[in-house]
Amino acid sequence: MKEQVVCKTTDIDPGEMKATNFGKQNVLVCRTLDGEFYAFLNQCTHQGAPLDKGIMCGATIDTSKPGEYHYRRNGEIIRCPWHGREFDIKNEGRMLANPEKKLPNYKVRVEDEDVIVYK
Amino acid sequence: MAKNQIRLVDTDIHERVQYKDILEYLDEPFKHYIENCHWIQEKHMPYTQPAVAGVDRADAILPDGRPAGSDLGFMQEQLLDEIGHEYGILTSALDPSPSSMHGWYEMAIALASAYNNWQIKEWLEKDDRLYGSVHIAAQDPKAAVKEIERVGSHPKMVQVLLPIDDIMWGDPFYHPIFEAAEKHHLMIGMHHNEPPIYYGKWPRYFIEWHTLIPTAHIKQITNMVFNGVFDKFPNLGLMMIEGGFTWVPHIMWKMDQQYRDLRHEVPWLKRKPSDIFKKQIRVTTQPAEELTKQEFMSLIEQMGTDEILCFSTDYPHWDYDSPTRALPNMDPELKQKIFADNAKAFYPKLP
Repeated sequence: MKEQVVCKTTDIDPGEMKATNFGKQNVLVCRTLDGEFYAFLNQCTHQGAPLDKGIMCGATIDTSKPGEYHYRRNGEIIRCPWHGREFDIKNEGRMLANPEKKLPNYKVRVEDEDVIVYK
Repeated sequence: MAKNQIRLVDTDIHERVQYKDILEYLDEPFKHYIENCHWIQEKHMPYTQPAVAGVDRADAILPDGRPAGSDLGFMQEQLLDEIGHEYGILTSALDPSPSSMHGWYEMAIALASAYNNWQIKEWLEKDDRLYGSVHIAAQDPKAAVKEIERVGSHPKMVQVLLPIDDIMWGDPFYHPIFEAAEKHHLMIGMHHNEPPIYYGKWPRYFIEWHTLIPTAHIKQITNMVFNGVFDKFPNLGLMMIEGGFTWVPHIMWKMDQQYRDLRHEVPWLKRKPSDIFKKQIRVTTQPAEELTKQEFMSLIEQMGTDEILCFSTDYPHWDYDSPTRALPNMDPELKQKIFADNAKAFYPKLP
């Protein structure tokens, strides 16, 4: 099993994300507001945009009637910097508009202050 | 009699009323306004007529000179018996036609009721094969709902024709109409009327206007899908009439692409737009572009389903499509769907 320390926990505040290197791969480490860490390939599935240049935000994700908006899940959605596609951090990086698509993801664990990405 | 084995379900046939024939169905003072005050519906296409008998097939003009489509017996002889129709859906025509009337709400409401009564008595109840469209004055949604409640339960009314106006059909303005239609198992039918394909005005030439008709269909579909009409009314269907069909894959792809990027703005959409299209929108074939079999089959493949297209003749108009000549040869199973089964599956009230 390949694993690597990619950064310190203190490098990423809750609600933020950071591009790191995992071997030769550019990996996006996201920290949700509850303090958990998640890691994905730092490329949009669509046209390869660098996701770390996008934002972590919420989304109008709940069921609603036409004309109604419910903004939820703040800090748990990655929005691509180019076309604005939304990916659900806590659901394997699945795309909101098409959950069959997901960002390639990596396992993450924290030991002391080290954020470790592994396959 | 029928030369092909499949009995056609024709999704666009134009019956035609003349002013003098609708008078007995009109209440006063609206009868008076036509009879004594010379009211005629605003119709002002600024072009030369497209064909030798205006907008009609020249051979569909009645021997006694009455307009094409105005006599059931002649239509039976020339179309229904000759082709061997199983069913035909009436979609009205031209002048006067409540489904394309703007302005003067009171006249529009009265005309719609009179037209519906005339259609039921003179056509639907005289030929088992014919099914009808409810005409409404949609500019007054309350009156429109009342009219749907009045005639929508008639066993041979299968859809509501909505006039195209400057409020798009996805707007909540029309939702009471959709609710009433859904309640009576009526689909919504769109037949273009004049002139909304071109920023509310007419293009310079008829050939441009006629080419651009499907853009009106594309606009209404886009508006209804993204405004959530098909999610709010899951049993409602939309029949897009007389715009041809080669545009269908384009708008499916375009809407899906936009949805992938811009879903956040329309969170009420839980299905891919093309999935909504496949389930709730159907498209009549006429006026069919002349395609090779290969081109036609490629389009069907691009649509992702062979259940969208429903054959239509547009009788008695000049750009009529012949059931035996308009589309390329196709496998019997596919032909059965396009010429009959797709329309039967779409209209709940069609046997």
